[in-house]
Amino acid sequence: MESSQQLANNTTAIQEMLSNSSDFQTTDFTAGGRHYRLYYLDTMIELAAVQEHLISPLLLQDNVSVREAVSILNVSETQLLTDALTAIIEGKTVVQIEGDATLYLCATALNKERSINIPVNERVLRGSNEAFIEDLATNLNLMRKLLSSPGLVVKYYELGRISKTRVAMLYIRNLANSDILHEMDRRIKSIDIDYVEAPGFIQELVEEKLFSLFPQTLITERPDRVRSYLMDGKIAILSNGSPDCMIIPITFWSFFQSPDDYQINWLFGSTFRLLRIICFIIAISLPGAYVAMVNFDPRILPFEISMTLQSSMQFIAMPAVMEAISMLLILEVLREATIRLPSPIGQTIGVVGGIVIGTVVVQSNLVSNTMVVVVAFTGLASFIIPSYEMSSAARLLPYPFILMSSILGLFGLELAFLFVITHLSRLHTMGVPYFYTGLNGGTMRDTLFRSPIWRLKTRPKESMTNNKVRIRNPRGWEK
Amino acid sequence: MIHLKQLSTQQLICLVILTQVGAHVLSIPYNESRNSGNDAWMSILLGGLIAQVVILIIYWLGKRYPSQSLPQYVTSILGIPLGVVLNLLFAVYCAESSLVVSVTYASVIVRWLLLTTPWYIILGLLIAIAAYIASSPLRSIATVTQSIMFMFLVCLAIVLISGSGKGDMRNILPIGTHGIGAVFKDALPALWLYAGYELLLYVFPFVRSYKQKSIIIAMSIANGLTTLTYLAITFVVTYKFSEGQMNYISEPMVFILRQFNWPVVQSLDILFMTIWLAVIAVTVYVYLFLSARYLASVLPSGIRKHTLLVWIIAGICYVIGLWGDHREKIIRFSVYHNFATGVMVILVPVLLLLISFMRGKGGVVR
Repeated sequence: MESSQQLANNTTAIQEMLSNSSDFQTTDFTAGGRHYRLYYLDTMIELAAVQEHLISPLLLQDNVSVREAVSILNVSETQLLTDALTAIIEGKTVVQIEGDATLYLCATALNKERSINIPVNERVLRGSNEAFIEDLATNLNLMRKLLSSPGLVVKYYELGRISKTRVAMLYIRNLANSDILHEMDRRIKSIDIDYVEAPGFIQELVEEKLFSLFPQTLITERPDRVRSYLMDGKIAILSNGSPDCMIIPITFWSFFQSPDDYQINWLFGSTFRLLRIICFIIAISLPGAYVAMVNFDPRILPFEISMTLQSSMQFIAMPAVMEAISMLLILEVLREATIRLPSPIGQTIGVVGGIVIGTVVVQSNLVSNTMVVVVAFTGLASFIIPSYEMSSAARLLPYPFILMSSILGLFGLELAFLFVITHLSRLHTMGVPYFYTGLNGGTMRDTLFRSPIWRLKTRPKESMTNNKVRIRNPRGWEK
Repeated sequence: MIHLKQLSTQQLICLVILTQVGAHVLSIPYNESRNSGNDAWMSILLGGLIAQVVILIIYWLGKRYPSQSLPQYVTSILGIPLGVVLNLLFAVYCAESSLVVSVTYASVIVRWLLLTTPWYIILGLLIAIAAYIASSPLRSIATVTQSIMFMFLVCLAIVLISGSGKGDMRNILPIGTHGIGAVFKDALPALWLYAGYELLLYVFPFVRSYKQKSIIIAMSIANGLTTLTYLAITFVVTYKFSEGQMNYISEPMVFILRQFNWPVVQSLDILFMTIWLAVIAVTVYVYLFLSARYLASVLPSGIRKHTLLVWIIAGICYVIGLWGDHREKIIRFSVYHNFATGVMVILVPVLLLLISFMRGKGGVVR
């Protein structure tokens, strides 16, 4: 729609296009014999900027064009009302002179953003304490500060027909694999949706396997972690309105890495890494193994231990399966309640959870002592995994394991294990295998263990980067 | 899209070892000591050496057609009608092998672990999980196999630990009293233990290696490690049992594991047999996979869907396996199975190599 020379015509046209929205405002003033009108959404502009850099220069200077007069970085001209409308929605102020159809779009958007906080969900003891916030520009600023290389490429997408959410794809030129980049580009561009709740929507729309408990993209809120993945040749997806960054392609082992590992002595780092992986196995299989041993093969345990078990289960009416499933369920309810509960009454959870569940349930012979120990250990083990998504997977998997072992004992447990391993081996992210065993010397270095930095000479193979070398002359001073 | 289709030599080693090692482990060296007695280890070693020769033959055959697998080049060696028949025979043989292994181990589970669980549930679940794995692409299968390698090593450690208890070194002595003839006679049952290397007939073109030589090196390492495993078990058994006792115990390993006591685990046999299930599963799913691939090469291209074929073959195996719940039947059937192994795994590759030599280098290109 073409702009009209008459101010009143334009005003009614924009008002109509905005459905007479109440926050649309116009302001008129005259200077140097010219009649100016500003169109804007009063909720979206920064008043001080408009007054200082737009109105006062125009009032003071005569006979210069708007472009020359205002002291605003981003000014553009248009003749189209539709362009002006988009600009107004984005928070720009549109200036028009009576008798001239040209519209000047001045960037005066108001940015309400919170300050950069410390990461809440991914705590570390050593390392940076910055976390992403909801504003995309700020997040990109953080990334640029961490990686001052001209190779860092930012590519914008606009997703959502109505919401027009801005999404940024970050990668490092010459490190990221071009096939993966093309594939990711193709998948993001194919998204046609009304609005995106990023990165959750994007994740579900681009991942390959639809029915899988395991996370196929890694979500992080730490800029330093994103940097380390970018330097491995992976792709990061940031979006406006969300402090979470999505990393792709990713492998199973990445979910057990924490930035902490690389800040402390590699021996500690390796130990803790191994501990997390063992805890993952414990989290998914311990209740199942317990049920199998109690139900089927108590003779696998030495006599003394089975006597202890027997004495603790003596007066329990419920079968071990029911005990295990109900206790795990209670643990899950407790976890969910702790997140949802308003913080002033948060301490109630401790009382209810600790005293009622822990003590009274055992005293009233509903659940055996050993089962409480097993379930508590299982719960703790699942919380040790650094990624929330993977830890959720580790808390859902025990249920099928328990069912299988209650039917077939250790045999069923083994079958369940084989099923999970096969499922993992069949997963792909962006065509890259999701799971590989850490047996091979090359891959073991940063999966089961965290090898010393001077051994991590090459980038991980799953990012399929062309530029493999990471350290050229480690500890060169020694020679 | 990047999809890795090739195997590394390390994955090849894992695949071959775990396909070779199967349900027999519990009964070693019962069948191999019928004539040779306490010299059974020599028969086992001899079996391994013969297997190594067959591996060399298969390798030479594969080297002549480095970019094709057996179902593809067999027609250029034998012509289309015979080639199709041979592919079908291989498909049947592989399906039969996976059936025999799964039935044998299901019977072990029913006899030692889950005494009251119905036969059809145990066999069904065992075949179902194997079919699920076999319906994956070759690379996923290799990854699963690598993970199972961990469990295999745990089992091996259990065997060695349990073998360290009370026993008598003198059971192994005197060496060679049964004569060379007896050793040779028992090398034949020992030879069946090593079946599994014929996997190379199919996977040869899929192995990623800089030199073809590394394939034969990997195969030899795998076969060598299998031989060592079998030898270790034989030594453990001969160390524990005298020749007279061995004649009565058909599954000696179970007894050895059962009498070993640890402060944390009392009966190692349950633990061993449970973990060993994964190792058995490898043999079952590799053969199911091969069977489906051989069958696919025969069928018209419209119905070659790998997943479907695997599940159909698994279903047939399961239905036949329902009749296998008697141990006598399994033992009687294993005679035919051993014969089939001899023909398909040893005789056929040798003949194929000879014919391909006669046809000249590269065979007839159609």
